[in-house]
Amino acid sequence: MKAETASYGEFERLAMPLFDSLYNFARWLAEDATEAEDLVQETFKKALHGFASFVPDSDFRAWMFRILRNTFLTSRTGLRARLTVELDPEDEETTPVTWETPESLALASATREALQAALDGLPVVYREAVLLCDVEEMKYQEIAQVLSVPVGTVMSRIARGRKLLRQMLAGERSVRSGSAWK
Amino acid sequence: MTNCLTWQGRVASYVDAELPCPEMEAFRAHLATCPDCAATTLALMESKMAVRRAGNRYAAPPELRAKVLSLAKDEPAVARGAIGGDRARFRTIVPRYWTGWAIVTAALLLLAAGLFLAANRRQNAKAVAEFADLHVTALASANPVEVVSTDRHTVKPWFQGRIPFTFDLPDLQATPYTLVGGRVAYFHQEPGAHLIFGYQRHLISVFIFRDTPQVAMPASFFADNTSSFTLRTWTQQGLRYVILGDANAAAIANLMELLQRAR
Ligand SMILES: [Zn+2]
Repeated sequence: MKAETASYGEFERLAMPLFDSLYNFARWLAEDATEAEDLVQETFKKALHGFASFVPDSDFRAWMFRILRNTFLTSRTGLRARLTVELDPEDEETTPVTWETPESLALASATREALQAALDGLPVVYREAVLLCDVEEMKYQEIAQVLSVPVGTVMSRIARGRKLLRQMLAGERSVRSGSAWK
Repeated sequence: MTNCLTWQGRVASYVDAELPCPEMEAFRAHLATCPDCAATTLALMESKMAVRRAGNRYAAPPELRAKVLSLAKDEPAVARGAIGGDRARFRTIVPRYWTGWAIVTAALLLLAAGLFLAANRRQNAKAVAEFADLHVTALASANPVEVVSTDRHTVKPWFQGRIPFTFDLPDLQATPYTLVGGRVAYFHQEPGAHLIFGYQRHLISVFIFRDTPQVAMPASFFADNTSSFTLRTWTQQGLRYVILGDANAAAIANLMELLQRAR
């Protein structure tokens, strides 16, 4: 009984500091606040049940985000996003990394609202990669764990996501118009 | 510029603090000599910070937190003894979160210093780098200003009792500049005013400190055209003014004139 209480307290100690970030990330993935709240609750439920299987010394934050993200993928919005990915292969390894400084400046100097709108318009695969990298400040390796993809894929998704953001803010084209997937 | 193509391919890894140490050093050394790569890197760093600010968007409702906390209490059979009594082995995540950001900020400071150094090698770039860091750190924080007001008659008195001097602010009506607000900044333990002005979509920092040898600087640092930072500085009435931002050099110079004429 004593051990039980300790592990339960341990879960709370590790998981609660992540609560705000998990909710913020859930809102970015989900379509509305209600869906995001369900997502966060479901994540904590699953994590609580599965805590025994969490390997000590491994990355607890990546583990929690991974549960949230997998829960999202089985939700209605997530299924739709996944369907989009399967319909539109992303030629991940062939995306060249190029930089156009004026576009980059458009991004850096965009208003918070404009940037938020652009992030909303980004396909989920890129949005989640960019957010985990820039907002959660995860290492590529950690993002790879969350998304269950190789590090190289993480890097190309971040690069592509940033490029699309720059283009959207530079007003060159609208990703929502469908051109993002070629 | 064949060489630069290789470096430009590593900009993202550098900005994301993912380059191995030796490559990081080599990259920095290249930045100090190459304004093109330095400008690209700085632009991506600023973009990363902009995404970070925009991405921290949603605050969780307190009821949800309560619900999540009560979930645990309804699940008495959780994790039965599996990891009990082995707390020390869990990795603490909080410090990691901060180190990532610290690395980016430090890298940015070095980069800003490098840019200005490349342009004005013999000048005292230390103070310049410190002001660049104050500027960048404030803009990257969740609350860049402590007093939010476009009205100089609100901002100026706010500093009374917070800093050991007073200063005048210009009337900005009929100019393209807006006052965003201000905060107290510290330079070598000395409190001073940090004002933030808007110009188009740029934010320009103006620092005002008592003029001491520590804040002495040459009048201007222009990294060349491709760089996105301009800094100008002058003294008036015993005060040291430093103006710094990524707006174009003419916009910085005009704001400088407005400040010099303020009564
Ligand atoms: Zn170069």
